[in-house]
Amino acid sequence: MFSTELVIQTAISGVMIGVLYALMALGITFIYSIMRMVNWAMGEFYMIGSYLQYMLVAWALGPDLWWLAVLISTAGVFVLGLVVQWGLIKPIFKKPPELRDDYATVVTLALLLFLRSVATGLAGPNQFTPGSNLPMVMIGPMPMAGARVAAFLFALAALGIFWAVLRYTWHGLALRAASQSRVGVQTAGIDVLSVDRIAFGIGVALAGLAGALLAPVFLVYPTNGLITTVKGFEIVVIGGLGSIPGALIAGVLLGLMESFGAAFVDSAYQNIYGFILVIAILVLRPTGLFGERGREA
Amino acid sequence: MIALRSPTFRRSAIVILVAAVLLLFVPLIASNFVVHVLVASFYYVILAASWNLLAGYTGQFSLAHHAFAAVGAYTSGLLGYHWGVSVWIGIPAGALLAGAMGYGLGRLVLRMRTIYLAIATWAFAETVHVYLTADYTFTRGELGLSVKSLYGTLNPTPYYFTFLGLTVIVLLGLRALIDSPLGYFMRAIKDDELRAKSLGIDTTMVKVRVFSISSAIAGLAGAVYGHYIVTLTPQMLDFSEMAKIVVMVVIGGFGTFIGPVVGAAPVNVALTYLASYGEWNLAVFAAVVIVLMRFSMEGIAGLLAPLWRRLWTRNA
Repeated sequence: MFSTELVIQTAISGVMIGVLYALMALGITFIYSIMRMVNWAMGEFYMIGSYLQYMLVAWALGPDLWWLAVLISTAGVFVLGLVVQWGLIKPIFKKPPELRDDYATVVTLALLLFLRSVATGLAGPNQFTPGSNLPMVMIGPMPMAGARVAAFLFALAALGIFWAVLRYTWHGLALRAASQSRVGVQTAGIDVLSVDRIAFGIGVALAGLAGALLAPVFLVYPTNGLITTVKGFEIVVIGGLGSIPGALIAGVLLGLMESFGAAFVDSAYQNIYGFILVIAILVLRPTGLFGERGREA
Repeated sequence: MIALRSPTFRRSAIVILVAAVLLLFVPLIASNFVVHVLVASFYYVILAASWNLLAGYTGQFSLAHHAFAAVGAYTSGLLGYHWGVSVWIGIPAGALLAGAMGYGLGRLVLRMRTIYLAIATWAFAETVHVYLTADYTFTRGELGLSVKSLYGTLNPTPYYFTFLGLTVIVLLGLRALIDSPLGYFMRAIKDDELRAKSLGIDTTMVKVRVFSISSAIAGLAGAVYGHYIVTLTPQMLDFSEMAKIVVMVVIGGFGTFIGPVVGAAPVNVALTYLASYGEWNLAVFAAVVIVLMRFSMEGIAGLLAPLWRRLWTRNA
């Protein structure tokens, strides 16, 4: 039962799925660190990404051009994020400060319900899969589903680009500055509202990307974003709210915990192991692995 | 009990009791189905009012209120199903366990930034959902756990009186709590937690207490309701249940006492009678909430406020 091969295979699949969960967590924590609000509708942007991917692959591009479909789906979710930010999130600054949290929470929760209900109304409760004709990949002696490997590599590339943009471009500098001080960034002559718009777009696009990449692995249906979102939130707590390296490391940690739990304990409880890790972290190190102690403003 | 002598408490108590006396006569004229819809409405009034205590008055968002109701219902149901424990022990046990879970979770996350409670409760609710579905040998999972009915009958009328009484007690209790010193601390925390802390309020303790109380009320309502619907499924933990509570509170009036009462019943009635439109009516309610939040945030309670003031200035 405890063969080396099984352990290695479990570890590899844990890391691979963990990086995809980390995309989700990164989107949540990125939006939070700049706008100081949590977008509860992340799972719905994931869902929209996966539906776009399905429609593009099944009706327009065919399974060979899946990578192009992923790019278009992600771009589509990015644009939708810009629209949502402009229409719903920006007005937050017209509210008195003590009502902003209430407003952000309730509006994004309502958005969650709205998008999910509309998706169910339009597409029905059916489950779709865009299919994938990628061949099995042999990693050493172990076979891996091609779609999973492709999703993993794609996610790694996206994370690399995300990091490079933040690190080396002017916009990245503005985003990092806004996450440190929204007032300071304004005194430097940067339009903080346009920074918000880009941050919200990128944040939900990360969720859309995860949705598009995971569409062939998990299925496409109206509430498919739920489990991944919960994991995203768990990762955010484990890694520390607002910490980008924390999101990555915690994502891989959660992926490993889950795949080892599923392989060696009981796969029915796969989606519970993460919560046990969350409770352990909250007891031992409440600010998460990389979180700083709460600085409010 | 200073709270019980305050004019706000007396005025609310008079209105609640008058409304309750009028509602006593409804089963005489209404059909069984209408009575059933009203029982469910009372259940949602209790959930919405206790959630509003936490979110609207204290500024702490729990996204596991439906899960605490399910914890109450399943505790009582499982005790009866596996060990034949009486309903009258099961229901308090359900409320206590929900309150205890709220206390434990609150102790872990409430000393941190506000947003942690929402994240942790969301993960908690989904974890309970997964557990109840997965451990089907114990909980019967999607097959549904059948539990004893409270009065051995499926006729909704006795349950109507039970829920009416329960709603009155919960609302009076919440009103007394809001007018008590703890209630003032709650509002102080919502307005400015740092300032409340600097004035010597143990804000974490206040938040933990309010969270436990609100979770226990949800557990109580869930446990009693479970013995009315007699079949429990993990459907109780679907996130749309939580979203419904939020919709009810916001349409009624977020952070007002009367809001959840006037919001929950009409929304539940509308959702029941429009059920044939399935998901679309939830989408419409979600859109209404977005528009309300965007423009006024006051809901029905905002419309009623002038009437309420006029009612009491004329008398005084």
